[in-house]
Amino acid sequence: MNKAFRDALFHQDMAFYEEIKGHSDEEKAIRFNVYRNNVYVSLIDALADIFPVSQTLVGDEFFRAMAREYLQENLPKTPIIGEYGATFADFIRAFEPSKSVPFLGDLADLEHKLLTLTHAQEYPTLEHEQISAAFNNTSDPTRLLLGLSPNTSVMSSCYAIGSLYLAHKQPRRQNVAQIQPYNSEYLLLSKRSIYGEVYIISEAEAVFIQRLMQNKTLEQAIPDDAMFDTGSSLAKLIQWKLITHVSEADA
Amino acid sequence: MVFTPKQSQGASAPSSFIETTGISLKPSYYHDILDRRPELGFFEIHAENYLSLGGPARYYLQKIREHYAFTIHGVGLSIGADVPLDPSHLQRIARLVDEVQPEVFSEHLAWSTHDNVFLNDLLPVAYNQATLNRVCEHIDQLQSTLKRQVLIENPSTYFEFHRSDRSEIDFIAEMAHRTGCGLLLDINNVEVSCFNHRSNPFDYINRFPSRAVGQIHLAGHSLDENTTIPLKIDSHDTPVSHEVWDLYQHALTTMGDRPTLIERDGHLPTLSVLLAEARQADHIRTNIRQESRHE
Repeated sequence: MNKAFRDALFHQDMAFYEEIKGHSDEEKAIRFNVYRNNVYVSLIDALADIFPVSQTLVGDEFFRAMAREYLQENLPKTPIIGEYGATFADFIRAFEPSKSVPFLGDLADLEHKLLTLTHAQEYPTLEHEQISAAFNNTSDPTRLLLGLSPNTSVMSSCYAIGSLYLAHKQPRRQNVAQIQPYNSEYLLLSKRSIYGEVYIISEAEAVFIQRLMQNKTLEQAIPDDAMFDTGSSLAKLIQWKLITHVSEADA
Repeated sequence: MVFTPKQSQGASAPSSFIETTGISLKPSYYHDILDRRPELGFFEIHAENYLSLGGPARYYLQKIREHYAFTIHGVGLSIGADVPLDPSHLQRIARLVDEVQPEVFSEHLAWSTHDNVFLNDLLPVAYNQATLNRVCEHIDQLQSTLKRQVLIENPSTYFEFHRSDRSEIDFIAEMAHRTGCGLLLDINNVEVSCFNHRSNPFDYINRFPSRAVGQIHLAGHSLDENTTIPLKIDSHDTPVSHEVWDLYQHALTTMGDRPTLIERDGHLPTLSVLLAEARQADHIRTNIRQESRHE
């Protein structure tokens, strides 16, 4: 009977009303609609909580209509509602009415990745002094391997989704209206303390970090790019607390 | 399998859970709680919000647990479903219970999953033998996995099934008798369901198997004022209503004092406002305890 109940939640057919006590079909509909409403509203609210910047960007009415369409075909797979919406970004990219906001899908993707990071296990990372010591103790720093936290990832988009996200999160520091959304961006995602964080990086820095993650030595990881500044890039990795260990590559 | 209630470990003083009212723990209160450390019986969390491996939920749970007793309230095990319990979800719940060592773990007489999808609401069951057998099997499995007695909460419902062949109370009494589970009496749910089914909430409380009640929930509701069939909605987004306070007074007068929670999930007020509601419950409870000593 759970199946018939579930089907009735998402379709307006009246077959299930035979199960319900009531004086009229109208009464039965009102009673059953409490459940229908609870399911829809609670799941739409959950998506609004998970994708707050996307919601702000397109407005409450548009967002809720889109979320309603999404949930009908994409119900949560587990009772952990904080994990809901992993496929929402793909849904948005294919959702015709959102095509006028072409960066919305990537932005939602970023929001979900950051929330997943926030929920992820934390890993201890090295302090500045420990990293300095490792550099001072080697005869050839170019042969060092820098291990990065498993919570580190690099993401790119044709749109300025990192700037849009940060401007919405910190409206006093950057004016959303001044952002050019059609500029591409490279982003570093990681975890600082107990929260997921995003940083806007250059293409060369993205290459550098990806190579470090592939276990390349410092020398192998440094991109062939005149604009790339190894010192300041390393300083960022240290400041953002990404480095979990430093070791020397085998000769 | 029958479990006896978990004894509080070591300390001879009664746990604050027994005598002092608790409130729902919400993220917006984390800092205020740690800064002020208000006097309070316990905090209750929804299990499903605290199953992550990291992040603020886990961090603040550990911090706040150092200073307060806890209860854990499951909202996603789907005890009433006509499919087996999700074993991986059950294991995650068991790990959380093991870590937090709550005074009580409670769940609902309701279902929320079907065919591997989660509907995020507490959906009703028909009160008949088939449901009873299934619910009892699930409670047995839950209690043997958690190695403790659990409390099962009476639901708020918006319609009744033709398929039901017994009352909600008879169903709940038989469920408690067969599994040895305790009961969580949600007095707001009594008010909501009895209003929606046009029955008397005081009769419901009088007939409820009071000896099994290990905890009481108090919460607020809203009203759907349609002209066909006005309904009360179990919304948890308003203060406890005067009807619920009256029923609470009546329940304690008949069954004696019980551990109590002020449950709030929406339109969250400041921590102080929720604490004031907890003190209002404590005031009623203190009087009940004094009266019973004089008898």
